[in-house]
Amino acid sequence: MRLGPFKIPWVREDSQKHDPYWDFFINTPPADMANTVTEMIRSAPEGNVFPTKAELHTPDITSSHVKELASYLGTDLVGIAQLTSLPTAGESKSKGDDTYPFAVICAVQADYDPRKAPGIGGQVPVQKGLFITFVLSAWIRELGFRATAVLDPNAEKLAVAAGLGILDAEGRLVTSKFGTRIHVANVIRTDLPLAPDG
Amino acid sequence: MALTLEKTTKPLNGNNGATHNPAQTDLPPPPYLGRSVRIVGPHVNVDMNQSPHPKNARGELGKPLFNWYRNTVSKDPLTRVSAPNHFADRRQFLTTVINRDSKGKVNPNRIAVDDPAAMTRHIKAVAHYMGANVVGIAKAHPTFLYAGSRYVQDGTAQDAYETQSPEELVRKFPFVIQATTAWDYNKLQAHRHHIGDSAYHVSQMKGVLVLKALEGYIKELGYTALRGVVTPQAAGVAGGIGELGRNGLVINKNYGARIHMPDPILTDLPLVSDRPVDIGVEDFCKICRKCANTCPTNSIPFGDKVVFNGIEKYKINWLTCYKLRPYVHDHWGSCLTCAAVCPFTKPNVWWHSLAVWTLRTCPIPVRPALVHALKWIDDRFWGVMRNSRVRWLSYDSGIKPGEHACTVAGCTASHEGKGHSVVGDAGYYAPLKENTNRFVKRA
Repeated sequence: MRLGPFKIPWVREDSQKHDPYWDFFINTPPADMANTVTEMIRSAPEGNVFPTKAELHTPDITSSHVKELASYLGTDLVGIAQLTSLPTAGESKSKGDDTYPFAVICAVQADYDPRKAPGIGGQVPVQKGLFITFVLSAWIRELGFRATAVLDPNAEKLAVAAGLGILDAEGRLVTSKFGTRIHVANVIRTDLPLAPDG
Repeated sequence: MALTLEKTTKPLNGNNGATHNPAQTDLPPPPYLGRSVRIVGPHVNVDMNQSPHPKNARGELGKPLFNWYRNTVSKDPLTRVSAPNHFADRRQFLTTVINRDSKGKVNPNRIAVDDPAAMTRHIKAVAHYMGANVVGIAKAHPTFLYAGSRYVQDGTAQDAYETQSPEELVRKFPFVIQATTAWDYNKLQAHRHHIGDSAYHVSQMKGVLVLKALEGYIKELGYTALRGVVTPQAAGVAGGIGELGRNGLVINKNYGARIHMPDPILTDLPLVSDRPVDIGVEDFCKICRKCANTCPTNSIPFGDKVVFNGIEKYKINWLTCYKLRPYVHDHWGSCLTCAAVCPFTKPNVWWHSLAVWTLRTCPIPVRPALVHALKWIDDRFWGVMRNSRVRWLSYDSGIKPGEHACTVAGCTASHEGKGHSVVGDAGYYAPLKENTNRFVKRA
């Protein structure tokens, strides 16, 4: 809502309520998955680690730079978890946890739960999350350190370990800023020297 | 209104294609593009393969440019993941993943569009929801389209429409959707620096992602979406995203020149097109010349508009702009000075909206006086040349080449021993035009 050059912030244009196509956008699964960007990024191979390691600052500063870049790429919440001291590490099926000391967890706000809304619109948080984790993990590899961004069944537990929020009874992440309306993106496991949160 | 799915019983191109004879061209009249650009004479559609990057890729612009384009790996890690052509491993660059040829098929269950206005609102809401900052819809015109083969980044757009002429394409696909992302204002202040590059390149990657997702979504709605067909600036101006400035950039009322013009979508989705806007760029550019004064290569004209290829506009010298790049590659990727100094390029806040609103509601004959006043304010408060020091991550636009000092507050790391550089020490803010004199021959 605008009054001349001024925005009236408390009057929101809720165009989605009157949009006859919005439900299709959010809830109808795509007929051809090749039309989705999420599928393109998921099937993309990982690049090489740059042969020369960049000279880093202290782990505290490196962590703040990782977080700064993550939020510039569009993350709403970001945290770093230490993987070795994690109590649930024994449950983790994926191998190589011990070789990666840190996990960077990025989470984006999700108006619709991506697990229940299969439409292209419902998957927009996933799309944003893939963008962030792809670029961030590629950047860490270009710094000369190993990093891999993969879909992780323990992502929400790691998010708790990184101090993003707590788990509710159904095992969903609850954050103080967004409640349960949050999507945890792929977990970036890395050996970049970082300072864990939480 | 309920949403209905209907089977398409006729081919997507409708009944126009079968009966149309390309010899009898009933061309629509030249479109109105606002006050900044005018189509005045016969226009020959541009072949995208004759544009700067493809020319350079074929080695037609000389060895230094060719090597810069094809064989140069950037020293800067963020540039290696975000800038085209300077990666160490192309798999790290997201755009190579996104900009591949679309493999997705058009959904055979086409969504019926009863009300094009509702669909227009929907498409705009979708683009904004995916992360676009500005969306415009233009009515397609044959002059907007490229001649010859299509321009797709990996060069494989072999579909049924590739051989068709611009007139035929426009008849089948009457609308162009241009969605774009804005560069980060604070990072842009470190133009001619890797920080400015990150403002440019990261939002470019985002824009590529948004347009690809939008293209896929239009196909899921059951309509065709073609890429690499339309000149982006033409679509931006015709779609009301902005006006064309002296610096050759489309200037938007909220973001100024700090928006991309990515490859738009040509589609047959029923929409309602936007109109070109008048935000006073025409009047401002006639007087201001800040970009021309600060351009390191004098590529921006000081004089009046010229008629080039039937179009009246300010014509920049792309070759001199382009030629600088190999020589500054260690320090920055994209110059961006003309966008950073433009008085329209400001944070998207109320006082900027107020200034633009004053300008565009001002009667045209009075505007020169107002422009002089606004330009005086701009020079006084924001400087004739933007040269604020910006620090971001390890980068600092205050560090000169050779100075390897770590300026990150509170850093206690030793930074010695291995002989290679600290991340972010590459970068040089070059405030003087004289610095580039030795690179570029002037007439």
